[in-house]
Amino acid sequence: MALNKELLPDRNRNLEQLYEEFVTRARALGTEVYRVSDLAKARELVVKLVREMGARKVALAESPLVTALDLAAAVAGAGAEVTGGNPRERAGAADLGISSFEMAIAETGTLVQDATEIDQRLVSMLPPAHLAVVSTRRLVGTLMEAIYSLAARGQIPGYLAFISGPSRTADIERVLTIGVHGPGRVVVIFIDEGGCAGE
Amino acid sequence: MSKAALRQATREALANTSVCSALGKFADNYVIAREQAYRHKDFEGLRREVARIKREAAERMEELAIQFSREATRRGATVFRAATAQDAREYIARLAKSKDIKTIVKSKSMASEEIHLNEYLKEQGLEAVETDLGEWIIQLACQRPSHMVMPAIHMSRNEVAEIFSREIKEPVEPDISSMVKLARRELRKKFLSSWMGISGANIAVAETGTIVMVTNEGNGRLTTTLPPVHVIIVGLEKLVPRFTDIVPILEVLPRSATAQHITTYVTMITGAVPAVDPNGNYHEQKELHIILLDNGRTRMAGDPVFREALQCVRCAACLNVCPIYQLVGGVFGDVYTGGIGTVLTAFFTDPQKAQQVQNLCLGCERCRDYCSGNIDLPGLIGELRRRTVEKEGMSYVQRVIFEKVLVNRRVFHKLLKAASRLQKPFTREGKIRHLPLFLAGLTEGRSLPAIAEIPFRERVDKLPRPGRVVDRVAFFSGCLVDFVYPGIGESVAKVLASLGFEMLCPEGQTCCGYPARQVGLTNSFTELARQNIAAFENINARYVLTACPTCAEALKFLYPQLLADDPVWSKRARWLAEKVTDFSSFVFAHREKLVPFMIPLKQKVTYHDSCHLKRRLRVTGEPRQLLIDAGAELVEMTPAALCCGFGGSYSIKFPELSRSVLDRKLQAVLGSGAEVVALDCPGCQMQISGGLDHERRPIRVMHTAEILASCIAGTVQVQDGKNN
Repeated sequence: MALNKELLPDRNRNLEQLYEEFVTRARALGTEVYRVSDLAKARELVVKLVREMGARKVALAESPLVTALDLAAAVAGAGAEVTGGNPRERAGAADLGISSFEMAIAETGTLVQDATEIDQRLVSMLPPAHLAVVSTRRLVGTLMEAIYSLAARGQIPGYLAFISGPSRTADIERVLTIGVHGPGRVVVIFIDEGGCAGE
Repeated sequence: MSKAALRQATREALANTSVCSALGKFADNYVIAREQAYRHKDFEGLRREVARIKREAAERMEELAIQFSREATRRGATVFRAATAQDAREYIARLAKSKDIKTIVKSKSMASEEIHLNEYLKEQGLEAVETDLGEWIIQLACQRPSHMVMPAIHMSRNEVAEIFSREIKEPVEPDISSMVKLARRELRKKFLSSWMGISGANIAVAETGTIVMVTNEGNGRLTTTLPPVHVIIVGLEKLVPRFTDIVPILEVLPRSATAQHITTYVTMITGAVPAVDPNGNYHEQKELHIILLDNGRTRMAGDPVFREALQCVRCAACLNVCPIYQLVGGVFGDVYTGGIGTVLTAFFTDPQKAQQVQNLCLGCERCRDYCSGNIDLPGLIGELRRRTVEKEGMSYVQRVIFEKVLVNRRVFHKLLKAASRLQKPFTREGKIRHLPLFLAGLTEGRSLPAIAEIPFRERVDKLPRPGRVVDRVAFFSGCLVDFVYPGIGESVAKVLASLGFEMLCPEGQTCCGYPARQVGLTNSFTELARQNIAAFENINARYVLTACPTCAEALKFLYPQLLADDPVWSKRARWLAEKVTDFSSFVFAHREKLVPFMIPLKQKVTYHDSCHLKRRLRVTGEPRQLLIDAGAELVEMTPAALCCGFGGSYSIKFPELSRSVLDRKLQAVLGSGAEVVALDCPGCQMQISGGLDHERRPIRVMHTAEILASCIAGTVQVQDGKNN
C-alpha cells in the first residue's frame, strides 16, 4: 500500500490540545464527553451514568477494555441488568449499549471502531443511548491520520464504524432532529491510564 | 419531453411557492454554513486532489473494476457486473425470489433510483421499503426525490403529516419531532423482520475491495447489519484506486453537501462480515452481493469531453447554488438534478429529456466555483447543447438569425437600425414597456430599453480625446453597447481620455458570438471569432478593452479554446486574448491618475457582481475600489453574488424563470437602501434597470464607466438607462 510516512499519526502531538479540540467538536455535534484518570474512576463514572440515565437494561459488547473495566459488575452495581439472549435480543432490549472504541479523531469529534463483530455494531445502533469508552492515548488529529493508520495495518477490518455524535436527520423542512434510527444520545468516556483497547 | 411540457413544468414549479421558499431559504443558509465548514481547509487543493483521483479512476475504470471484484471476492463478497439497468434489476429480483424473500429494506441509493429499482421490484411482487426518512416520505407519497441529498426538501411538515396519517391509518400531528419518532418505530419493525437489505455506496476502493457509505440517520448501518443478505449497488464511477484516496473525497463530500465536517456515520465495509438473522441464528459470513453498475458509465469514460463528469462525488453543491434549481427543484433534471444532473441524465437515464432540460441552465457559471470534483459543468452543458443542435438541428428562424444574420455584419446592423425605427410606437422615455403578441413575454415584469437611434459605431468620430496621448487602447463594444447603451461606450472614452488614452474602435468588429455558442451553434461562433480577431489585428494598440464581461470572456477565454486545434487561428486567438481586459480592471491599474480629476459622487451605491466578471474574470474588488475612489458610499446587498437572471436569450426562452431570478435580485437591491446600482455588464444593466423601471422604483442603474465619467470634471451628461 502506497503510504506517505509523514502523514502517519505523530505520537508527540500534544494530547491535551487534541483532547480540547475533540471536546469542542464533539459537543457541537451533541456528544457528551467525559475524561477520567484510570480504570477505577471510569468504572465509578459508568455506575453513576447508568444510574442517572435510569437505564434498566444494558447491552455490552465484549472487548479487552470492557473486560478490564469489569463492566458487567459495574452495571449490576448500578442496579441495572445486563441483557442476555442472541446479539439481536441483547441489543434490541437494552436502554443503553456500551462498547469500546479504538480511535478518536480530534478535528471531527469522531469515534472509530472495528465493528466486524456484530455485537459491536448492534449495541451502538439499536438502543436509544450509547456509551463509548476509549483510551485517551488513542486520540489522533485528523481524519487523514486515522485513515492512513488504518491503511498501514495491511488488512482492512471487515466493518469499520466512524461515529460522530447521535443519529440525526433534517429531512423534514430542514429542521434538525436527533435520534431517528440510531441512538439519540451518545456519551464518551476518555480513560487516561490503563486503557488497553487495540493494543 | 417536449419544449411546451418543460415550460409547463417550470410554470407549475414556480407556482408552488413552498418549494421555492424551502429551496431558496436553504440555499442562502447553505453558502454561509459551507464556508464555515471549510474554515482551515484548502478547498481548491482538496478538489484538485479529488479531480486527480477520479480522473485516474475514469481512465482506468475497467482495470479498477477487475481489481475491485478480485479483492471483494477474496473477502467473501459475490460481485456481479451489470452492463445495464435491466441486468441489475433482474439480478436483485432473482436473488430475492431464490431465497423466498418478500420484504427488502433499502438505504438511500441514487443508483437504485437511476435503475428504477423500486417499481421493478413491485411489479415482481416484492416490497422494497426505503428507510432514509426523506426517501420513505417520498416513497409513501409515490413521488421521486427532488434533491440528491435532501430528497423531500420540497415538502412541508403538514404534507408529511398527511402522508403518515394515510400510512398508519391514524391521525398524525404535524410535529416534526413526533413524526421522526413515528418513522423510527415503524421502520424498526421493517429492519428487524427483513432478510435482505439494499444499499448504495459513495466510494468503492479497488485496492482493498472496500465500500464506503456516508449517512446521518443510521439507517445505512441497520440496512447493512440486520438482514443476513446484503446487496450493494455501486456505479463504476465510484471506484478509486487506493484506500487512502478515501481521504480527500470524505473531506469534501459532507462539507459541500450539507456543510457538515463529517456525517454522523461513515461506514466502511470490506467483504462479508458476521450477521444474525431474524430467527436469531448466527452466520459467520453474511451473504454480500456487490453489483458494479455500468449503465452508460463506460461510454462516458470513453468520451474525451464528458469523462470529466465522472469526477463527481454527488455532493449536490451544484444544485444548492443554482438559481434555477432554487426555483424549480426537481424539474431541473430527471433522477439526477441540477447542473450535474443534466449531464448524467444524458448518459444514464433519459437522453431525450436531457436535451430539453439543458436549456434550463442560465449560464451563470456559479456551479463551477462550488464543484467538489472541479468539473467545468457550464462547459459540459454547453457541449451537450452543441451536440443536441448538431444532431437535432434547430428551428428555421433561429438558424436564419444565427447563421445568416449574425455572421453577416452589414445585414445584422441594418436589421437593428430597422428595428430601432419599428419599435417607436412602443417606446416611451427610451423604454419599451409592452410588446405585442408573441413578444409579450419579454416585457413581462420588465421594461426593455429601446434600441438606440444612433448606434455607438456612428458616434466614434465625436468621442472625447485626450489632450496628450500616452497610449492607445482598442475598444470592443459588443452588441449591447453598440446598439442599446452607446452611452457606456462614450463614458469609457471619456474616462480613458482623462487618463491620456486614445480609444480606437476597429470597424470590422461585430458580435462576440457568445449568443451563438449559447444556443449550440459552434460554426457561427467560430465565424464571428475569426471576424473579430481579424478586425483587431489591424489595429496598433497595446490593450483591447471591453465594457461587457461576457464579450471579455468570449475574447479572452473562449476564442483560444474554440480555435485551439486550428494551426493558424489558435495563435491569432491567443494573441488577442493576451491583450483583452475588462474596463474596471484596466482603469483600476491606472487609477492614481484619475483620482485628482474626480468630483466626489456622495451617493449610496450598491454593486452588482455580474456572473461572468466575478466567475470567469475573477474581478470583484476593482470596480468597488473605483466607486469608493469616486466618492460613493458603497453598501453591499445581501445575499451578495446573486445572478440577475438575464442570461442573454434565456430571458426570451424562459421569461418567467428569468423574471423570478430577477425578483430575488431586486429584493436584495431594495434591501440595501442604495440610490444607485453600479455594475459592469450592459446585460445585467438591461435586466435590473428593466425590473426597477417596471416596479417604478427611482433607483438608477449605471455602468461603472458611466459613474466614473459623471464624476470627471467637465462632465458630459450621463443619462440613466437612456440610450442617447
